[in-house]
Amino acid sequence: MQKAINKKSERTAAYLFVVPAVVLLAAFLIYPALQTIRYAFTDYNIMRPDRIKFSGINNFIELFQDKNFWIAVKNTLHFTVLVVPFQTALALALALLISSRRRGVSIFRAAYFSPQVTSMVVVAILWTVLYNSNPDSGLLNALLVKLGMEPCGFLNDPKTSMNSIIFMSAWQGAGYQMMIFLAGLQGIPKEQYEAASIDGAGKVKSFFYVTLPGLKNVIQYVIMITVIQAMKLFTQPYVMTKGGPQNSTRTLVYYVYEQGFQKRNFGYACAVAAVFFVIVISLSLGMKKIIKAD
Amino acid sequence: MTQKQRARLGSLAFYLGNTLVALIFVSPLIWMVSSSLKPESGIFKGLNSLSTFIPQGASLNNYQEVFQRINMWKFIGNSLFYVLVIIILDLFINSICGYALAKFEFKGKNALLTLVISLMVFPAEAIMLPMYREMADLGWINTWASLIVPFVAKCFSIYMFRQFFMDVPNDLLEAASIDGCGPVKTFFTVVLPISGTVYATIFILDFVAHWNDFMWPLLVVTGEEKRTIQLAIQTFFGSKPINYGPIMASLTISAIPMLIMFLFLQKYYVEGIASTGIKG
Amino acid sequence: MKKKIAAVLLSAMLISGLCMGCGQVKERVNEAGESVITVWSPSDEPAIEQWWEEKIAEFNEAHKGSIHLQREAIVRADSYAYEDKVNAAITSNDLPDILFVDGPNVSVYAANEITLPLDDFFTQEDWDDFLDSSKNQNTYDGKIYAVGATESSVALYYNRDMIEEAGIRIPETKEEAWTWTEFYDAAAKLTKDGVVGTNIIMDKGEGLPYVLEQFWISNGTDFVSEDGSRADGYINSKEGVEAAEFLNRFIQDGYANIDPIQKEFHNERAATMLGGSWEVATLENDYPDLNWGVTYFPVADDGGIPTSPTGDWVASVTKNVQDMDAVKEVMNFLFSKENVTTYAKAISKPPTRISSYDVLTEYNEYPRSIFKEQLMETGHPRPRTPSYSVLSAGFSEAMLNIFTGVDAQTALNEAAAATDKDYNKYYSGE
Repeated sequence: MQKAINKKSERTAAYLFVVPAVVLLAAFLIYPALQTIRYAFTDYNIMRPDRIKFSGINNFIELFQDKNFWIAVKNTLHFTVLVVPFQTALALALALLISSRRRGVSIFRAAYFSPQVTSMVVVAILWTVLYNSNPDSGLLNALLVKLGMEPCGFLNDPKTSMNSIIFMSAWQGAGYQMMIFLAGLQGIPKEQYEAASIDGAGKVKSFFYVTLPGLKNVIQYVIMITVIQAMKLFTQPYVMTKGGPQNSTRTLVYYVYEQGFQKRNFGYACAVAAVFFVIVISLSLGMKKIIKAD
Repeated sequence: MTQKQRARLGSLAFYLGNTLVALIFVSPLIWMVSSSLKPESGIFKGLNSLSTFIPQGASLNNYQEVFQRINMWKFIGNSLFYVLVIIILDLFINSICGYALAKFEFKGKNALLTLVISLMVFPAEAIMLPMYREMADLGWINTWASLIVPFVAKCFSIYMFRQFFMDVPNDLLEAASIDGCGPVKTFFTVVLPISGTVYATIFILDFVAHWNDFMWPLLVVTGEEKRTIQLAIQTFFGSKPINYGPIMASLTISAIPMLIMFLFLQKYYVEGIASTGIKG
Repeated sequence: MKKKIAAVLLSAMLISGLCMGCGQVKERVNEAGESVITVWSPSDEPAIEQWWEEKIAEFNEAHKGSIHLQREAIVRADSYAYEDKVNAAITSNDLPDILFVDGPNVSVYAANEITLPLDDFFTQEDWDDFLDSSKNQNTYDGKIYAVGATESSVALYYNRDMIEEAGIRIPETKEEAWTWTEFYDAAAKLTKDGVVGTNIIMDKGEGLPYVLEQFWISNGTDFVSEDGSRADGYINSKEGVEAAEFLNRFIQDGYANIDPIQKEFHNERAATMLGGSWEVATLENDYPDLNWGVTYFPVADDGGIPTSPTGDWVASVTKNVQDMDAVKEVMNFLFSKENVTTYAKAISKPPTRISSYDVLTEYNEYPRSIFKEQLMETGHPRPRTPSYSVLSAGFSEAMLNIFTGVDAQTALNEAAAATDKDYNKYYSGE
């Protein structure tokens, strides 16, 4: 009897608790997303809201023949596939650097996190300077030349531009994942390291046999949130390369913005967005499986 | 080598290594601050050498100009206000939703969880214009509501809260229930007091995310009354020629609230993530 | 329980809000019964902000009881932000009465019936006082859709010390302007010791078409046809490809940087620069030690057409106007002889009214006289086409691609195709 009442009051409480969030999500995320999908089937030019015509699947036909769209898909995947392991490894390395309990650790921690709070304007200006292809202006190229190497085009060479953005993004984002790893490292029992040490394991060995297995769940989690961020890449190409050179940094979200706002081709942009939705939703359903596995 | 010497060497390596890496990470911040102290003609001089990080002939002229030209305090106040309101509502609404997803059994729970996880990946840029039309239809253009209400419910927050509350022991909840607490009361009197860390975590994440908002405030806010700090900074990019001195000064000023917040909350932050992340 | 009620109320509010449908048009009259006229213009430097304050106060004082003028300063950032804001206002039918737009966008808004013709706003005598360069830019389909107070131009700045040391000839008159070959040879000679020969604007945005279109015009072609309906055969014509290949030689041979650092010329890292008229004030105020000069925009070899860029932000009147007579009154006030002069003086840009030059005598003297002369005699506005946004983005992208190794013909063909596709999709059937 008591149990049944509990069940009932629990259900009431549950609905009470989820309704505000659900209503807001419905109104300000799902509704606009559905609108986006609706516009994907029109010839909406942003300047002519008075003249929107249904255009069937024309946008989608055009899209699948659009070379730039496929390049954007490829670039988004390129970015995601490379930045996720790189940024995760960097974050783990930073966490290991400051995992010992010493004086001043919090200062280093704040330093590694600081790119997160630095304005993109500053980051963009400074990295464009660092990456400048002329060794007389760019710090990195000045260094390369001093070391007797050929200067590199970085952002101005279609072969290296995306990788340059990956490197910079990892630098900017790693501080956040580092914090998660730090927390994870604290969760590994000291005894495990001691046991490994007694067994004669060196630092390297204990990293592979104790640290990595101990961080398995954390690593999974970090990878998931990094994938989410990576798929949405927009700001860096927007401020640094405008999608170029030669299409090499045009990502899906940037393409949506470029087509919809800049070129005012809103209906078409919505079609790109709709395809993007399909890609990310199937991706996150896959991720949900991983999450559920715990 | 004695034990002591070895420890010394280890600690030397620790500080040297960390300082070196830390410098690479804070260099943009240092450059920003140092540029904000330079005269305009000095900012882009000697960029290929390290001297660009040291201000020569430092002065506060750029800061003076910033405060002369725009009402910095008001815009910082505006930003603090709307960001804090978003965060407070976010903490409340998303935490109860996350709690329900973690601890309650109800119809549609699985569907809701799936929805939350799949909506996490939605980029705001893709739905901006329909959202703007919605604001216009609601008559919300140029109101605080348009800056705040659409961003209160957040799938990412809901998910983080759920992960955290999953780890709250069921024994604790059952004990409260036996004491006659209803599920709602249990949450507010038993669970909430032990969950400070996760709230601190979401607080920082939200603050970082919204303090730098630019595109959306630009679209929905016109005029000085509700102008945000990031919009105000962009006024310095207005007309050619662009002077970077005041821009660097205003960016430095705008970074201060965020740095203060981080330094205060970072302790909780680590613990908060520890408790949500490990079970990931 | 309270929370439940709150939740229900909240959702009811939202749902009813969503069902309300389209927004109503606001009545543009204030409590005092005055017609409220709103102006949107980019937020600007202090002298201009002050100009607006003074002029609005003056106007409102003189029109007490009938018209109330107000201005919203809109953040411009990289010009796209301002356009995004306008695009959003278009979707909600919430445009101000008077909208400032960047020159080349006049045709875009006019073609989409966002803005209205202003031919009868001013007397013929007034129109005759405005520079042709400005009127040209503001004309679409035979009617004038905007009016501006200031103009801009681009000329060739040079570092006098470096040029004299290299023994290079400095043109004294428009007829003596450097030819392309001279320009290239000078850049080659001047490139040394970490200094590049010239600075080509590489902002990856609007600056590229603004400055570089002149190379197309000078070589006997343009970006689009006269009526703005076709890019194919113009931007990618033989002459156009030549222009692009000429520019590319500076980059490939290392005489100009593909991503120049900020203020490259000002900091003596570039010996010359194709720079805007606004740089004069910066150089005078912030770089007093630099020994610089300015001369005419280079001209294509073998009798190329002398030309120079023009264009600035201008005011247009939107379709959301309610009180047309009041708007007319405001426009006549803002663009009166006196106010064009004071505005141009405040912002230190060349005025659009010929009569203003009688007052602003600094334009009769070097270096500003160069810009005045170019404006009056060789100025060409950017292409007038409703597909300008696509053209501009396509051109910037094409140039960057050419500079990074793509064949000029291929890159320009793509820009032409994208522009024509947009035109045919939205504007040709009308």
